[in-house]
Amino acid sequence: MSRNSEIHDTIENRDRIHVVMFFMSIFFFALAVLILVWTVKIQAGFNVDSRVVHLFRPSVQKHVEAPVRGRILATDGRPMAISAPLYDLYMDCTVRKEEFARKGDIEAEQQWRQKARELSRSLSAEFRDRSADDYAQAILGGRDRGSRYLLIKKNVDQTVLQKVLRFPLFCEGSYKGGLIQRRHDERIYPYDSLARRVIGYVKDANRIGLEANFDYELHGTEGYEWRRVTDRKSWIRDLDSSVVRAVDGNDIRTTLNVDFQDIADKALRKQINGDDDIRAGIVIIMEAATGAIRAMVNLSRGDTPQTTLWERENLALRQVGEQGSVMKTVSLLSLVEDGYVKSLEQTIPTNNGAYPNYKQDIHILDYQRETGRRDISVMHGFEISSNYVFTYLAETSYGSHPEDFFDHIYSYRLGEAFDFDISGLASPVVNRPGTKGWSKTTLGTTAYGYGMSVTPLHVATFYNGIANKGRMMKPYLVESVEKDGRVIKQYKPSVLNNICSRNTADTVTRALRSVVETGTATRLKGAKLHVAGKTGTAQVVLSKEERGQGNRDPYHDALGRKKNQGSFVGFFPAENPKYTILVSVYSYLSGKSFYGGTLPALAVRDIVDQLYALDGEWDSSISRSGSVPALRSGVPGTEVKAGKVPDVSGLGLKEALHLVESAGLPCSYEGCGHVTSQSPAAGSELKQGERVKLVLK
Amino acid sequence: MKAATIWNAIKNSLKAIRNGEFLLRIRADKLYMHILYLFLLMWITIFLSLKVDETLTKAGNNRAAIEELEVRHAQKEAALVKLRSASSIQEKLEKMGSATTLPTEPASRIKGRR
Repeated sequence: MSRNSEIHDTIENRDRIHVVMFFMSIFFFALAVLILVWTVKIQAGFNVDSRVVHLFRPSVQKHVEAPVRGRILATDGRPMAISAPLYDLYMDCTVRKEEFARKGDIEAEQQWRQKARELSRSLSAEFRDRSADDYAQAILGGRDRGSRYLLIKKNVDQTVLQKVLRFPLFCEGSYKGGLIQRRHDERIYPYDSLARRVIGYVKDANRIGLEANFDYELHGTEGYEWRRVTDRKSWIRDLDSSVVRAVDGNDIRTTLNVDFQDIADKALRKQINGDDDIRAGIVIIMEAATGAIRAMVNLSRGDTPQTTLWERENLALRQVGEQGSVMKTVSLLSLVEDGYVKSLEQTIPTNNGAYPNYKQDIHILDYQRETGRRDISVMHGFEISSNYVFTYLAETSYGSHPEDFFDHIYSYRLGEAFDFDISGLASPVVNRPGTKGWSKTTLGTTAYGYGMSVTPLHVATFYNGIANKGRMMKPYLVESVEKDGRVIKQYKPSVLNNICSRNTADTVTRALRSVVETGTATRLKGAKLHVAGKTGTAQVVLSKEERGQGNRDPYHDALGRKKNQGSFVGFFPAENPKYTILVSVYSYLSGKSFYGGTLPALAVRDIVDQLYALDGEWDSSISRSGSVPALRSGVPGTEVKAGKVPDVSGLGLKEALHLVESAGLPCSYEGCGHVTSQSPAAGSELKQGERVKLVLK
Repeated sequence: MKAATIWNAIKNSLKAIRNGEFLLRIRADKLYMHILYLFLLMWITIFLSLKVDETLTKAGNNRAAIEELEVRHAQKEAALVKLRSASSIQEKLEKMGSATTLPTEPASRIKGRR
């Protein structure tokens, strides 16, 4: 019995222990969960007391030093793109609000608000974008709402920033005035839109022009240093740690001439600004001897004529298209070089302007009617830009072996995209025998400028080859890479190909000169320098959307409208070519026609006339018989004796007056230039009422 | 060593400190010059350290000032370059009502001896 009772007690005790253990386990588990939750809460919402926050900061900080991006310079060193920081200005409107509220200092709060109103007046006067009341409303309203990041102004430069820092409230520093500056480096283009497509830009994924292609030179290398805080709370370089200095980017000196670019831009705008049918225009000016591009203008409007002209796209490099009659020069050069045309006066039968399989040329009918002749010279065919003449010449000369003609085209580098300083030069399309686009009329159409698509840069390069007597230079835009004014990499002119003999080039130049004298470009006849060149008018192939459904005519839409391209390409002075010039204009869909002999030729004339006045090479000279007054060196004022007339002969007016007046004498003068005579003579004394008289010439 | 001995030594030392006799009791007067020299060295170290900090702060401020001047120079240069372009000059002349235009003939050059 007692044993049974003992066993029973033991079991009862064990159960009680189990229960206690169970509840204790629950308790500790719950405690663990609570601790865990508490820990997570502390970690998630951890907010260090502002009074001790500095204790958690490292005593040294890494400071990254950004390099200054290199400049893009014009050929004479004038900057076309430079880097400078701009500032976005914000304001913490709540600055000192809590402090005044804690102290109950209503008067201080009122004073702050009064200064904010004065600040508003200053901001309004400086930026002129909002009234003083608007600024005051924004700042004081922001203070009431608790705005800590109110935008004041974006993209403020250093000079304006210095002014803003002297404004009421802001002059008290950022802790009291609440001004927040956010600095960002920006590219500044001093000439606004001038050559912007050539210069280009680098912005995130958008990278175009020289900025993109020479980014590796312009960018530079970042540096860093470690800084520590001093006892006086200013940050200084930590001398115990390593320093890597930032290396600024190199400068790029281009071949562009700002004056040429300015003149070309203005001349093109003048021609196309008033005409709403013109969508875009291009000017390329290239130095004949080197291929250096002195100007490249790419002006275009947006989708509608109402949009302003701007450098939107680099059409000179990307606008692949049939160039029209300017390509007749390609045919003429090949024919003369191969000996099929022995003389420009050589004649061919007119055949009423008709050649089998080709469209009849009405210019020939006009010619026959006017002259009564049944033959036409190659020269005259070129002058009037006859399609028939060039079809006839190509078919009769190359009809049995067209490959020879296309070999010429490839040797003129008109069949490929050559290497250029800006990426994106489009590849031409040439339909040579055996290709998909070849037909029995391709030879003739190519000979007069259709059936082959090239870019304006290709055309200008080809004409430059003729101007340079057969040596076709590779066009280039970058002359050198420089570091602190010292050239570290020089790019020299290079030859793309020798395209023809000197005699052939001279013969073709004579034909091009004749186009200006008596042909389709007579608007250039009176230009101040003789120009040799060729006009071209081409219809642009329309897209399927522009043509409309079911319309098989590639050049007209359903309403009969077309897109035109008018061009003039040539060089000047014709006697000794120095520059090659190309001007092209492109129209919207229009019922009107645009010819190379009108707007483009007028633009060329404007440009040639202005370049003539600009370039000292074509100056008139004064012979040695002219006399120039002898100038005298010396420091003005050193030879003056009070009351005595000083010797001022040979001096400019400013220096002469300074000397005479330093001697305390009255003076009068006539003429301009330098003092050639003076009265009374130097060294004499002036009588009562007399004055020193100077004659300047 | 007994604990009582250590306690007595501490007690005596504390009494000596209270009475201002501690340094004399340990015969520190013999080391007086060395102590002064040590303090001088410490003072020089701290002084030089502060001067270095001060110089580096100045150098930092100067660098910031130079950078600011460079920026202002770049911005001024850009503004002046823009004013120098032929079309800007012509526009300004037209606005001012001036009859002066860009030259239509190249400048004459004087050749030969004077």
